[in-house]
Amino acid sequence: MRLYSLSVLYRGDPKVRLLKAAYDVSTFSFFQRSSVQEFMTFTSQLIVERSELGSRASVKEQEYLCHVYVRNDGLAGVVIADNEYPPRVCFTLLDKVLDEFSRQVSRADWPSGSPATISYTALDGHLSKYQNPRDADPMTKVQAELDETKIILHNTMESLLERGEKLDDLVSKSEVLGAQSKAFYKTARKQNSCCAIM
Amino acid sequence: MFGPHFWRMKELILSGTLNPLKDLHLGKLALTKFPKSPETWIHRRWVLQQLIQENSLPSLVTKGNLGAAPVERIHRLVQEEMNVCSEAAGRYPSNYNAWSHRIWVLQHLGKLTIKVLLDELSSTKYWVSMHVSDHSGFHYRQFLLSSLIGRTVTDSNLLLQNWMVNVQNPRLLKEEESAGAAASCAEEQSVDLPRCLEEELELCTELIDTYPGHETLWCHRRCLFYLQHHLKNRIPLLSAVVSSVGSNDETLNNSHCSPAISHMAQAMDVDGLNESSSKQVYTQETKRLKRAPVQDSFGPEMEYRFINEVLSTCRDVDQARFATAYRKWLFIGD
Repeated sequence: MRLYSLSVLYRGDPKVRLLKAAYDVSTFSFFQRSSVQEFMTFTSQLIVERSELGSRASVKEQEYLCHVYVRNDGLAGVVIADNEYPPRVCFTLLDKVLDEFSRQVSRADWPSGSPATISYTALDGHLSKYQNPRDADPMTKVQAELDETKIILHNTMESLLERGEKLDDLVSKSEVLGAQSKAFYKTARKQNSCCAIM
Repeated sequence: MFGPHFWRMKELILSGTLNPLKDLHLGKLALTKFPKSPETWIHRRWVLQQLIQENSLPSLVTKGNLGAAPVERIHRLVQEEMNVCSEAAGRYPSNYNAWSHRIWVLQHLGKLTIKVLLDELSSTKYWVSMHVSDHSGFHYRQFLLSSLIGRTVTDSNLLLQNWMVNVQNPRLLKEEESAGAAASCAEEQSVDLPRCLEEELELCTELIDTYPGHETLWCHRRCLFYLQHHLKNRIPLLSAVVSSVGSNDETLNNSHCSPAISHMAQAMDVDGLNESSSKQVYTQETKRLKRAPVQDSFGPEMEYRFINEVLSTCRDVDQARFATAYRKWLFIGD
């Protein structure tokens, strides 16, 4: 039961900007870690880009689940978790983080911000604390505020894409992914391995 | 790929050049990269077997590789193997090789003592709570519980045998003495099995409620339900024998160890594939249950209540499906 990344982004027009992110790649072998991190950034940005304002969604990719919340004001959060971690807790976490972020970082800074320029330091702590969902939040079985029927479920990353769009193209064009990550992706795709994305 | 490597290691160990403990340490590192590797686990068992043999030779007490007193050595080995298995299990989901190695270590080094079984139940509780879809982890707990039952039944069978001997030869021991001996024997080996199973069921309930939609938890529940019914068959039997003098032969003859426990402790197929075979075992058991005195503080009624509660409050589609399947499974045996 794990969380791998927690990111805050801004859904600008036309581009999505990463504002701040925290990662836990400790379970990946040393050699894979930087690629994994890059792919998580790539995935988070892509998901926010393809989500409507005011929406929540969960995107499944192999044994990972990416949970996203895009607020009406464009501020967005993505949690990447495994398939054991309870989604409900992820959405609680996202609400909490975006709320806190919007109070600490001025709205004017969002459209042009980047991890280097944004001063918000709580993300690593939140990611670490929420590794154990029962410690982090008392389980509320009936969460009146969160209407789960409104959470869109995507069974693959592909379902986010436009007609005719290919994930392979997006990967090769991406500025977020280094050359090594792109090569890694190509090899994994060819082998049809279980870790095509991560 | 690993074959020649392990062959060489065996040579070095047998010739006394390589300390088996060093080999184990190297294997541990290898498992961080290849947590499933069957050859690594197989070789590990070979090394441990060398160490077990060495440990049983008094001449090697001072010269041996292990250092401390024999019991202490074995205990340390067991603990280390538990750690290695745990780490490997965390690196690969449902790591069958790691968990079956763990079981092997308990059987061959740990001797399946009640202490080691209880310790393992306690130390894996947190792990399974954080890996709720790891079927092998929960199967391990089923193994621990059914081993505890088997242990207690064996011990109580021994008690019964002793009792029968004493009853047939009252001059060997005075009645009070033999009852006293039986009682203290029971105390030494005592583990509150019903309580163990109850606690496990509570854990299962808590996890099902907290993490909806994980089939592994529902499979685990089926096993627990079955184990509890098996247990109910034996405990009344033992207390009846110990407390009364003139126990009749019929009751004693019924106290045999059922091999069915191990059958149910195996991985369970959720309905569809194996329903017919598990159905058969269960209906045989329920027929036996209906003959035996009914003492159901935990019965299907409580489970039906639990299922209804889950179905009325859950919002996860899979959770509802598993709850419904479980109800069907219970009903078939009813």
